[in-house]
Amino acid sequence: MGEVNCEGRAPREINAEIKQQIHQGDTHIRILNPGARHNLGVAILKPVTLQLDGSVGYYCGGLIDGANFEVAGSAGWGLAESMMNGLVVVRGSAGNGAAAAIRGGTVVIHGNAAARLGISMKGGTVLVAGNCGYMAGFMAQKGTLIVCGDTGEAFADSMYQTVCFVGGKIAELGTDAVIEAATAEDAESLDSLLAQYLDPEERKKLPPGREFKKVVAGRKLWNFDKREWKTWQEAL
Amino acid sequence: MCGIAGFFDKSGDHPNSSIGQVLITMLEGLASRGPDSTGVAFFGPSVGHTSVLRVKLGDADDRSSLAAALATFLDAHFAGRYKISNNGNSARLVVEGAEDLPVLAARIEALDKEIEVVSIGKSLEIVKQVGSPANLDLTYGVSQLKGTHGIGHTRLSTESKVDLSHSQPFGSHRLPDLAIVHNGHITNYHQLRRYYQQRKIRFYTENDSEVVAIYLSDQINKGSCLKEALQSMLKELDGSFSCLVATGREFGFVKDPFALKPLLWAETESFVALANEEIAIRSALPGAYDVREAQAREVRVWER
Repeated sequence: MGEVNCEGRAPREINAEIKQQIHQGDTHIRILNPGARHNLGVAILKPVTLQLDGSVGYYCGGLIDGANFEVAGSAGWGLAESMMNGLVVVRGSAGNGAAAAIRGGTVVIHGNAAARLGISMKGGTVLVAGNCGYMAGFMAQKGTLIVCGDTGEAFADSMYQTVCFVGGKIAELGTDAVIEAATAEDAESLDSLLAQYLDPEERKKLPPGREFKKVVAGRKLWNFDKREWKTWQEAL
Repeated sequence: MCGIAGFFDKSGDHPNSSIGQVLITMLEGLASRGPDSTGVAFFGPSVGHTSVLRVKLGDADDRSSLAAALATFLDAHFAGRYKISNNGNSARLVVEGAEDLPVLAARIEALDKEIEVVSIGKSLEIVKQVGSPANLDLTYGVSQLKGTHGIGHTRLSTESKVDLSHSQPFGSHRLPDLAIVHNGHITNYHQLRRYYQQRKIRFYTENDSEVVAIYLSDQINKGSCLKEALQSMLKELDGSFSCLVATGREFGFVKDPFALKPLLWAETESFVALANEEIAIRSALPGAYDVREAQAREVRVWER
């Protein structure tokens, strides 16, 4: 197992060393003392595991393709932003814009997520064990967004084909977001995802998959029709 | 971008009881967000009828004539009841038994148009200057300062000039012992400024953040508590704001309805720490604790 110590070093040097160790064949690298530094492990395109021993700053795991990140602490803004594929797991909470614009892979946040979770996601899975802030799922296009706790306001606003599941209360649905009855298959796949990514203790505190609310786009904003001008006025 | 940081020692016996040291370390962690200027507002112990004023004696290198004018004024009105020390760009003035601090500040400023009272209060002192946190520490010995709580700022100027007066924290002459730091933009600043100027309230700068201190002091003077004032700020100030506020007894934050600027907070049994990047909190305060991002429209106030 490789090891990179962040103490006293800038993110640029740390990232260069991570990439060098990957180049030398390390597939599991432990990052010591991340100290909430920004941009750690950005754009790693190899299927390696990065084990970060504390909190990370902005854009951790951004633009990655296929890597596996385990963050022992919290994450700042833009966690895993625009990732193509891989798995990013945060034990603590995540700041604004977590999993924004991801195209694939899975982001798991064991704590809470702040505002703009999974906005404009184009695929992949986002799973938050706690609550999320305002405007999660805004203009999300594909993939699955799961919030086990409560959501903030404007949830799932102006979405395309992302499917959301919420275990707790939805403070307010966004424009064109509708609650749809979940199917037995939805509940089953939700239960298996929760069992796969959450700790048994964590899972026990949450409702069964079939009790999660399913939120999808009402498709009212997909095509412009001037006869529906009033809907548009409200949406904008 | 700007860096904002705050520290509130709940028990008064935090092992890192030098709030100055905590604030400077946090600001160093944030300096990449804004290298133009640095400032700190700290709250020391308040003693009887003693008041503290930080007074900027102009921008010129030679401050002796302004210092002399100030000394003459003080001898005439506070003979034997004041102490003055010169420190960096400003004079630190300790006065016994000053009845009305806003009036005293106005009279000091009337001595010369170059003189500006930077902070007034029983326990508040604001020090700020152009440059890095390390330089602020060199000038004012911030890391040695003891106290109960404080807030700090590193600035990236986007809309007004870079000098001491335009730096943060800001106080308000109409309410001693109030200080704010702000990251963001107040987009209805000009309207608010016009409103207050029509009511004869002086603006010292063209920095939009100044209006936050004036707004809050106005709300509190009208009878709101700090929490109510911060909640009404959400309705009456437009734009983006992550804002930290401190008074002699209270310490809190407000985040705008769109959560456009970052703001993180951590609370343990012994302290509350606020900053717009976790890196600042972790570098100043080692240990195991959770750091959370404040939500849109979130207001929190801690009281001593």
